Amino acid sequence: MKRPLITSTCLALALAATSCGKAEEQGGGGGAGGGAAAAPGVTEDTITLGSLMDLTAVFAANSRSILQGANLYWDSVNADGGVCGRNVELDVQDHGYDPQQAVSLYQTMSGNVLAIAPVLGSSVITALRSSFEEDDMLVGMAAWTSDVLPDPNFQITGTTYDVETINAIDWLTREQGLQSGDSIGVVYFEGDFGGSSLRGAEYAAEELGLTVVPHQIKPSDTDLSAQVNAMANDGVDAIIVAAASPQTASIASVAQSIGLDVPIVGNAPAFTPNLMDTPAGPALEQNFYTSTSMAPPSLQEEGVTEFLSAYEAEYPDEEPIQNGAMYGYASAQIMHEVLTRACDEDNLTREGLQDALRSITDYESGGTVAGVLDYSDPAVPPTREVYISKADGTAPGGLTAVGDAFSSDLAEAYEFTG
Amino acid sequence: MSRQQTVRLARRLALVALVVVALAAPLSLRAFWLQSGLFAMAAIISAIGLTLLVGRSGQLSLGHAFFVAIGAYGYSYLAGDPGSPLASGLGWPPVLALLGAVLAAALAGALFSPISGRLRGIYLGLASLGLVFLGQHILFNATPVTGGYNGRNAEPFRIFGFTFGDSNPADLVVLGVRYGELERLWYLGLLFVAVAWWCAHNLVRSRPGRALATIRDSEVAAGVMGVNVARFKAAAFIVSSMYAALGGVLMALVFGRIVPESFGLLMSVEFLVMIVIGGIGSVGGAVAGAVFVTLLPLVLNRYSDLLPLLAQPGTSGISAADLSRIIYGLAIILILLFAHDGLAGLARRLRTSRRGADGPTDPDHPMSEPSTTKELAR
Repeated sequence: MKRPLITSTCLALALAATSCGKAEEQGGGGGAGGGAAAAPGVTEDTITLGSLMDLTAVFAANSRSILQGANLYWDSVNADGGVCGRNVELDVQDHGYDPQQAVSLYQTMSGNVLAIAPVLGSSVITALRSSFEEDDMLVGMAAWTSDVLPDPNFQITGTTYDVETINAIDWLTREQGLQSGDSIGVVYFEGDFGGSSLRGAEYAAEELGLTVVPHQIKPSDTDLSAQVNAMANDGVDAIIVAAASPQTASIASVAQSIGLDVPIVGNAPAFTPNLMDTPAGPALEQNFYTSTSMAPPSLQEEGVTEFLSAYEAEYPDEEPIQNGAMYGYASAQIMHEVLTRACDEDNLTREGLQDALRSITDYESGGTVAGVLDYSDPAVPPTREVYISKADGTAPGGLTAVGDAFSSDLAEAYEFTG
Repeated sequence: MSRQQTVRLARRLALVALVVVALAAPLSLRAFWLQSGLFAMAAIISAIGLTLLVGRSGQLSLGHAFFVAIGAYGYSYLAGDPGSPLASGLGWPPVLALLGAVLAAALAGALFSPISGRLRGIYLGLASLGLVFLGQHILFNATPVTGGYNGRNAEPFRIFGFTFGDSNPADLVVLGVRYGELERLWYLGLLFVAVAWWCAHNLVRSRPGRALATIRDSEVAAGVMGVNVARFKAAAFIVSSMYAALGGVLMALVFGRIVPESFGLLMSVEFLVMIVIGGIGSVGGAVAGAVFVTLLPLVLNRYSDLLPLLAQPGTSGISAADLSRIIYGLAIILILLFAHDGLAGLARRLRTSRRGADGPTDPDHPMSEPSTTKELAR
């Protein structure tokens, strides 16, 4: 008797609670700002950027580090009066590395943010690609996969994994005595990150007369004794790691214990500074390098020292991560440039941001990103330069630069298949 | 007598009200709620399949995500554009693609049923777990069909020239509300759920349903009564796979683009959580559990920013995201503590306590709930 009444009351309440705003949603939201209406995420005094990160699952530590860097940068910008007379605010949401969560969160935030930066998680980015396209959304992606080329919606901070690996192999031949006829082991994650890196390795090997010995692994594989032993038996002369830090630690330790004394070069995600405090530390110091456009946090360049002093003041007990906080800071720099240019054009809309990004042809980041960034062509990454950094337990961020940023002829000639 | 009639009438009215509200929902629900509702509907369909399998025939399956993936990918492949550069398709009409995907799952279920017929309890659980890993491997590596780790787009559903998408007809306005993809899919979802519910409801009450219940409680007794145990267990597995696939098709339509990571072990576990929370074996319980497990994290995540005293993301301390995980976990624990037979059992107890113990029991629930869990624990 009572139940239908209760049910209907509850339903009515629920509907009332969830329905408010349907009209504004349909009227206001969607596409680029239509004429006089302000663009999504832009008000009189704030610009809101959306950020979809993984704060509770596999990449929680990395996401946290990225946000540290991004917050440091925007805080300093806001303290100096912001952009276009407005404060820049991040609306950070956690997708827990779950595409369903990400799609749902994006649906909620897309009408209220001007751009999405940073966003982390390849499966998440993939699941959202068509939505980004529909919304003309500029996306600052915390990944360096060449799979998103030539999609104009993505802003990549630095060069892509394949180019990182090509430059790494070129550097090995120049500095570590690798020569034609030698072989390289490539330990890579199944997926876009590992796939990108392997593509680069295969291209470089073919050009230089080397042999690639590939080993595909999953993120859950953390004991790589079998792979390292196999590589030792194959007599590899160098190892490329397109995986994460647990795999790096295992490879370096096992290689040292069986006497496989060869250089090991990782892509950006393969290293975190806390590895230096693990038993793998000494092995890493002996043979491990990273190859990425992100500066090692200890680099003596204006932009990087500025970042480091701000970081150490804010987080005295923590180590900045090269592809975490350093990336978060550097990508915010580029977004800052984009917003500034869109503001100068008096076009602070999604369309204006896209145009502003493509108008950047010679941006210098003060060293945080290798090279001079040119975003005019969406089919190629903005630079092909990388830093080679060596693992170093005493340096901030656990890395010191080996020489200057460079790009090899091989990398310059490389064509992106997308 | 008259009291019973009033109750019946009231129930009917409530049902009518519910239908009206469900049909009118897109007129007032915002996109977030429509989308979350559609995710819940997809989960409901697949969860009904699993509760039939686990609760009605006593076969514990951890491989449900595999069959959901067959539905999602099967539909996307069969209906996909043959000339697409990403991952090609066969270009079938979406209705045929839907049927094809569901039949493909039935076939896969049939292929696995000899295994599910021979194993019991946790052993079957582990064997079916293998399906998830097999599925992940296929999804990642059969690139021409699945698009590999980049996933693939799902064609919008079309029937008689009407598209459940944003175009064709492009501007559909109903009572002043623009009906886009989500609003249109809402009705498709309702239809799928209604069909799924109705079939399950009848299956449970029918002769095969009773045969399955007997098998669950004692295979020997069932065999003695002349029930063909192996055939019925296989049939239950096939039906459950088809349910999973239908849910998968709807999921693909709502996502618009599917990626392999969605169909991992976590999805299988979430389906188990849904049916356990709902009350194993109860169709209504599966619906409630699916709604709960799907919506709670989404809603918590969306509204947790409103709670005070939370740390900003990127700083240490409990952030909104952490808190929503904690609340979600607590909710599951509390439900299982205070309603060990799930939401369905709770509802049943509330009803009988109000009517007195002699009230009619709901035939929708297996009378021997504990034996199910015992059977599974064996």
